[in-house]
Amino acid sequence: MITLEANSLIFRFSEVHEDAKSAIQFQRTLRIPDDGKHYPLPPGLGAFPLRHVEDFADRVPEGWGERAGVMMPLYQAEAMWIAFGGGGWRSRGRYPFAIKVAAGKINAISGKPWKPELDGSERDYVVLPEQPWLDGFCVAKDVIRQFVAMPLGSGYSVEAQITGKPEHGGLQIIVYPMRREHYEALLRQREQSSDRMAAGVRYRSLVCRAAEPAMGLAAGGRMTQQIYADPHGLDAWDQSVSSRCFVTLVDAVQWREITGEAPPTKPPTAADYTKAGLPWFDYYAADLETLGGAPPLAVVKSVAEMALEKGEQVLGPDGEVNPDTIIHVGPGKSPHSKGRTVREGKL
Amino acid sequence: MYYTLNMTGFGDYVRTVRATRAEMDVRFTLRQVAQRIGVEPAYLSKIERDLVSPPSEATIVRLATDLGEDPDVLLALAGKVGSDLQAIILRRPKQFAELIRQLKNAPDHALLKVVREVRDGKW
Repeated sequence: MITLEANSLIFRFSEVHEDAKSAIQFQRTLRIPDDGKHYPLPPGLGAFPLRHVEDFADRVPEGWGERAGVMMPLYQAEAMWIAFGGGGWRSRGRYPFAIKVAAGKINAISGKPWKPELDGSERDYVVLPEQPWLDGFCVAKDVIRQFVAMPLGSGYSVEAQITGKPEHGGLQIIVYPMRREHYEALLRQREQSSDRMAAGVRYRSLVCRAAEPAMGLAAGGRMTQQIYADPHGLDAWDQSVSSRCFVTLVDAVQWREITGEAPPTKPPTAADYTKAGLPWFDYYAADLETLGGAPPLAVVKSVAEMALEKGEQVLGPDGEVNPDTIIHVGPGKSPHSKGRTVREGKL
Repeated sequence: MYYTLNMTGFGDYVRTVRATRAEMDVRFTLRQVAQRIGVEPAYLSKIERDLVSPPSEATIVRLATDLGEDPDVLLALAGKVGSDLQAIILRRPKQFAELIRQLKNAPDHALLKVVREVRDGKW
């Protein structure tokens, strides 16, 4: 089952194991420049508010109610990242899960159309707790292009570029827990090992329905991020149970009209954040294989590239960004290593 | 890891959790935790020894977040109810009071059945 608690999606599989619980949050962040450079991980600036779509069924376009799930507000060209496993230095909450993430029903890891099952033919899912975050589309080995929200019909989204038909938008997520027997064997291994890493944190009626406010995710600037391969193998996952959720992305300008609540303020620019001396992050997990980029995603045009082609001004000026304070998070060694911390920005 | 709730009080629970974290991570010394949550180390020490009343709701929430604990659990141990929960109850006090009384002895799995699920539709 999935519940919505304090702007987090909480997944529980108590029928599999009492420990089988985890969380997903959607974090506000800086939009990194799309200038050909590879940037480190930007901070988390707090969770996006999440609301049940069905609570506002009379104020949202028809069709949203049918797919249900939750919704959250993003401004045009605003970036986001996905935090897995909850926050804090929790020693609990580390039950393994296999999670597929899609944007506009295009898998963010493989670039292929949405397919809910894990069948081993594609390496198209992330594994918790190894993968703490996902910041974008996997375009090359250890390189992602940042998730950036754009209006669904604008043609910028990855879905629009791959399918030619921006139909779904939003984010789609399906979660599979590890089989009970695999988990218990893993627990025994963990108990014998002293390797206990700290998990880092671094989200009306027909007379007045809102205009089409749906957003899709497009490809932003390049960022260094490892997507870790499944270290457990396909057989470890219990595919007899799963939970899935459609996360509708709503134009923040229309969020108040739909929910009556103010949307979050716009995040600072990457240039302003960096000039203030605030940190960026990197994450390395020791001895884990990382996935290569997805060919369909590697050829997707970024928002900046499309805007140039279209002669449109959809991004504000990025300014010069040279992150010089980079904090290492995670158990592996990094050339930038300065000790562990949480991936949270403070302004 | 879950800690038992049958300790002597709020401070005892906080000290146990923090000390356990400190065994694995040096960032969980009393001084560093106090600094991160914005209180004096001496005050946190008194809290942990139950020499003073539990701190404010905001401080408890910061402490819970820092320690990776559930804020609602720490607030309950401190004899408090979160202001967000108070606001929810105050909107429909009769219904929520009745609901809580009805569920007071229900096992956890039964409570989960009345928790609202995120509905999944056709997509």
